[in-house]
Amino acid sequence: MPVTKVLTQGIGEADLRDMKVYRKRGGYQQLERAFKQMKPADVQSACERSGLRGRGGAGFPTGKKWSFLPPEIRPRYLVCNCDEAEPGTFKDRMLLEETPHLVLEGILLGAYAIESHHAFIYIRGEFKRGYEVFMEALAQARKAGFVGKGLFGTKYDLDVTVHRGAGAYICGEETALLNSLEGKRGEPRLKPPFPAVQGLYSKPTVVNNVETLAYLVPILEHGPQWFASVGTERSKGYKVVSISGHVKNPGNYEVPLGTPMRELLEIAGGLRDGRTLRAIQPGGGSSACIFEEHLDLPYDYESLAKVGSMLGSGAVVVMDDTTDFVRAAFNLVRFFAHESCGQCTPCREGGHWLERVLHRFLENRGLRSDMEMLARVSHEITGINLCPLGDSIEPFLASVLKRFPEQFESRIARETFHAAQRDGH
Amino acid sequence: MIAFDALLKKLKPKCDEIIAQYEQPRSALLPLVHLFQQHEGYASSEAQHAIAEMLALSPAVVESTVSFYTLFYRRPIGKYMLQVCRGLACTLNGAEDIMAYFREQLGIGHLQTTPDGLFSYEEVECLAACDRATCMQVNLNFVYDLTPQMIDDMLAAMRAGKYSVAPLAQTATPPRTWMPVQDGEVARGDKSDGAQDQPAPNNPGGLDRDGVIMLDRIIADEARFKGRTRERLANVEPALADAIEK
Amino acid sequence: MADQQLVTVTIDGAQVRVPKGTWLVEAAKQIKREIPVYCYHRKMGPAGLCRICLVEIEGMPKLQIACNTAAADGMVVHTQSEKAAEGRRAVLELYLVNHPLDCPICDKGGECDLQDFAMAYGQGFSQSIDPKDAKPKAVDLGPTIVLDEERCVVCQRCVRFDDMIVGERELVLKDRGVRNIIATANGEPYRHNFTGNVTELCPVGALTSKTYRFKSRPWDLRRTGTTCTQCPVGCQMHVDVRVGAVQRTMSVESDDAISDGWLCDRGRYNVGFYGSRDRITQPLYKHGGAWMQVSWDDALDLWSAAIQEAIAVVPASAGAIGGGRLTNEEVFLLQHVFRAKGIKNLDWRAGRQRQASPGKKSAALADIEKAQAILIVGESPAERAPIFDLRVRKAAFQKGAKLIRIASTERPYPAPIRAEDVTTAGQAVRALAKDIERIAVIWDGIEPKAIRELLEKLPQHAQLSTYITAEQPNARGAEALGMLPFFGPGYTRVSAGFDTAAMFAAARDGRLASLSIFGANPALHYPDAPLVREALERTAFLAVSDLFMTETAQLANLVLPAKAAFEKTGTTTNMAGDVLPVNAAQSLESPSDALSDLEMVIALAERLGVDLPLAEELDAVVLRHLAQASEEFTLGDDRFVFCHPEVSKDPERRRGDGSAIRVETRIFAGGGTSAHDARIAELRCLPEAAISKEDAIEFGVETGDYIDLSSGERTMHDLLVEVRPGVPQGTIVLIGGLPDGPANLFGAGAVEVSNIRKDLSREPAGAPA
Repeated sequence: MPVTKVLTQGIGEADLRDMKVYRKRGGYQQLERAFKQMKPADVQSACERSGLRGRGGAGFPTGKKWSFLPPEIRPRYLVCNCDEAEPGTFKDRMLLEETPHLVLEGILLGAYAIESHHAFIYIRGEFKRGYEVFMEALAQARKAGFVGKGLFGTKYDLDVTVHRGAGAYICGEETALLNSLEGKRGEPRLKPPFPAVQGLYSKPTVVNNVETLAYLVPILEHGPQWFASVGTERSKGYKVVSISGHVKNPGNYEVPLGTPMRELLEIAGGLRDGRTLRAIQPGGGSSACIFEEHLDLPYDYESLAKVGSMLGSGAVVVMDDTTDFVRAAFNLVRFFAHESCGQCTPCREGGHWLERVLHRFLENRGLRSDMEMLARVSHEITGINLCPLGDSIEPFLASVLKRFPEQFESRIARETFHAAQRDGH
Repeated sequence: MIAFDALLKKLKPKCDEIIAQYEQPRSALLPLVHLFQQHEGYASSEAQHAIAEMLALSPAVVESTVSFYTLFYRRPIGKYMLQVCRGLACTLNGAEDIMAYFREQLGIGHLQTTPDGLFSYEEVECLAACDRATCMQVNLNFVYDLTPQMIDDMLAAMRAGKYSVAPLAQTATPPRTWMPVQDGEVARGDKSDGAQDQPAPNNPGGLDRDGVIMLDRIIADEARFKGRTRERLANVEPALADAIEK
Repeated sequence: MADQQLVTVTIDGAQVRVPKGTWLVEAAKQIKREIPVYCYHRKMGPAGLCRICLVEIEGMPKLQIACNTAAADGMVVHTQSEKAAEGRRAVLELYLVNHPLDCPICDKGGECDLQDFAMAYGQGFSQSIDPKDAKPKAVDLGPTIVLDEERCVVCQRCVRFDDMIVGERELVLKDRGVRNIIATANGEPYRHNFTGNVTELCPVGALTSKTYRFKSRPWDLRRTGTTCTQCPVGCQMHVDVRVGAVQRTMSVESDDAISDGWLCDRGRYNVGFYGSRDRITQPLYKHGGAWMQVSWDDALDLWSAAIQEAIAVVPASAGAIGGGRLTNEEVFLLQHVFRAKGIKNLDWRAGRQRQASPGKKSAALADIEKAQAILIVGESPAERAPIFDLRVRKAAFQKGAKLIRIASTERPYPAPIRAEDVTTAGQAVRALAKDIERIAVIWDGIEPKAIRELLEKLPQHAQLSTYITAEQPNARGAEALGMLPFFGPGYTRVSAGFDTAAMFAAARDGRLASLSIFGANPALHYPDAPLVREALERTAFLAVSDLFMTETAQLANLVLPAKAAFEKTGTTTNMAGDVLPVNAAQSLESPSDALSDLEMVIALAERLGVDLPLAEELDAVVLRHLAQASEEFTLGDDRFVFCHPEVSKDPERRRGDGSAIRVETRIFAGGGTSAHDARIAELRCLPEAAISKEDAIEFGVETGDYIDLSSGERTMHDLLVEVRPGVPQGTIVLIGGLPDGPANLFGAGAVEVSNIRKDLSREPAGAPA
């Protein structure tokens, strides 16, 4: 299957940041149609029928997520999660910077669907350019009357507030994001209650990823059937996949879900010449590696879950035979240890411990018992924390430890110690 | 202090505007810190106090929140904030060499500022530009596809005052580093503000830098550890236990 | 109520029925099954951070935390299964990876949850071989607390306490991840009235009290349960004694009815005076202007003779003041002996307060949490009854009660508490919802006019609970047991004698031949110091029983060394009328010659020939009188107003051109017992003067300046200025009871501000502003 262009349509061809250009290509028509001809419930139902699943990482069906909102309580809030920081993921940044009006239209549609009158977009602090671009787009839209009071001649008011993060991966977790949006430390909240019941300011809240909300626009345009007809049984529609690492043409590629891994690799130009594939991390830093025997797997939620990995945020990191997997493991463990909010002891202490031990391996001072410790502790800290960050440490580490034990063994101190003795040093 | 009062007066209308965007004032905390940092170059304690007052919070709460986020600086930083990505995709594409080159050229390490106050250097987590690895941000503006040659040019331009990207506002030359935390990549440097000069008073032992003396002891003990952990491992991950056995 | 629906859960095979929604951790307690916790606290609810309370629940694939899992019908829970044990073991291993394991030098050793749980559930060895993270070992958090960052397990109990219970939010978490530390803003001192509680909340040895660090091992302490008698709340507490001295006091976590499980810093830390060298150890008699030590026999002979002599002329020339600091039994016998000799001049009131019994609308302490609105007239309980104030904060912060202070000149409550300040009773009543059902009123018992006005205006349909915060711990007991000139024990009517004001007036006129003062210091606390001084100097025979040589004792002819609260046994009555046990702390050594006031009064009775109730009947007699709560009066009752024409004048009213003085309470004002412990010197406040914004402009001062105050020949030096909203123009608010700057120094005179300067180090500026 070729690369398709749905969300990415026009990117690189026209300046979609200019509202005139965006509108000329059909922009904001779905929004207008929704407000004028559809009830919020209609938008919701379209979303549900399209089979759209959250594109942020968890892959939860979006329509179902909206249905958890208690019917009577108002106000409700929609929060667009643009705190993209999962290692290897760079799709939301592209959408934000290149086609901000599509993102905004998606947010407005989503807010309308859940009958929210105040939507927020939480933009990762590092995305200064994206923030500026989006602010400009928002100003244009506000001027055109797409945001604010009485949209499209209806009595519906809808405001959008842009909120910048300030450097914390954990704020991508929805309750941490809400805390951060409330001006608190970005620490995940104890659940229950879930955000749909008590979210922002203790009011029912939906947090959706940028890509998820953006897909609402084409879904309304072409109808839910169009979206649902692509992909696999349970993974429907398209997905923007961020492919990086050891490939010739890293980048964002929009493909139907279910595209085989092998094809994804080809789309990105394949491996560099003369290199062989060692591993692929298919779903961001929190996912376990898959290997060449998995290249024929379709890229969808279920297939990857079946082999012990996940689709996550759709970040495919390709690693060839030059890869130092100890270093790679250290890199990701350090990332999670650095980004742990520190609330829960297993995640805080465990991540830090694993990081230190892996660093010792990098210095060729590992112990054989450490290899067991790495597997054991990363497993033990999984599933017992308040949020999923602590659970993100194990998959990659365990998968490479199991697959490439020799890379770890080669850095065990005893070997180097004995080798040094043997060589008479 | 007088300078700050003037700044506060100037920013007050903007602050009120930001606060009004939210249903609850406290939500304005991050935007307000961004605002003051934009003007002062860092989140000064005066700014934090002013924000606490505006939002009816205790100063401790503001400080606690500010300290959580890595993009808020509690000390003055350099004119050019160089943040090099150390994410996995960049590392696969040679980020460690790039970082080493930066450290060499700047003469400073992670989370440090040059004595002339021109550069602050930080190695940051994935910046979401993996297709352009290795990448970095200069004052939050992306620079892609780094090479040593590019770095040379970039630093030369900055030193010559000819670098074109707008810098963050600059304050008084920082005396030493903008954050006293000497991160070093791992634990050793992971100390809180007050701990910098503290030795490890209760270090029960472990590897010294050379690793040899302690190692003997550990190797002698290894059988004991091995026995217990392998047993446990065999329950959870039999395949892995086997692999290790081999 | 739906909440009360009972469900049955099975925990380790035992069935337990609990209300639906009960956390498993609490449900397990009912069958005496301990589930270990660090972050969870019964008063603060689950936080879900420590992950040590993992349990296995049938039908759930993952281990669940018992602190945030509500009991549901039919739930089957295993706390001891292999899986649960394995989860706990793994978590504990992680706790110890970076913990310094410095148990031998840790104060918490022996009562440390980390130590205990590691022993019970841990694995006994560690696979960690890397150096531990070094962090500061003794961070000075403030006047009371030292923090060991290495031992901290970041359970955040202390942070949550500061946030949810106190509302001050001074203690916070800083940094992120493994660098998380407990800290205050910018390293400022951690200082409010409840700091000590965090040392008890801390499950490890991270937060320790300065007064107790390195003092003792818990197993070497002799523990006695008693009642704190430093304010009228009557918190239950444990006194821990070693080598004859009080080492520390601890709260009683199960004391839901009185202290809610907390202690204020005064109750907790002001216990060093027991062993002070300043204690009076022997009866002292002033002879020819010099003190001489006398035996108890001689002292009692002198005392009884003076009383006999006075009543021989006319019984109205003898009197007694005090009782608010004594036990119920002591107060009862005291008035019994004096009344038996025909002496009617009896009054417990020695300070600013006029009434301590709320009368017919009295309510239990915990009832305030049910109020929909809380109205405060006069001083708030913040400094007069701190632990009661925590309940006020709880009602306002956690339960949404409307909190209104009327004409308050105090500092505001911390922001999360959201108190509303109004100037008149009318405004306060207007601020209440029309359909309000439950109102609580808190009064300081001082100015009757304001409270009467409020009570008249309150909606009649609402259920009212009233509280009076007293200056002395057992003020209510003293009133109920007859230490009032117009009420006998059980509020029986008696023919009236002189009240305190009238006694002082009579004394000044040379008409008081004998006055006995028990545990009271009117020279420092009565609003008009010049009058008291003159009156006491002219009293023919003044006997004072006290622990220390107070300002009042110095004016006495005979000083009697008394025992303090932890040295005697009896009962006390708190502000809500609860009768609470006072127990002598085991193995505590008191000064050799001190007697309790009970022993003194019994000895006096013998010499005066008064029959006493049998010792074994005393308890019952006292309880009977205490139970006879009079129904007839309420707050601000006329009878409690001092009737003497001259001194009943409102001392706060401005006379002449200067400013009027208003007095406020602080728990560490520095007078009384707390002045005699060097370890808490940092807690004592220095003289301060709070003034209005208008006056600040008029005088040309700002917050942080120092001023002097003077009236006639009397001058008070070096007061730190605070410009405070709520202080009316023309009023200066001073801290009461400060020996260094007694707020009662000027009597009813108007005062002038002079000698304004920026700091104390410089030479005085000279010319008055």
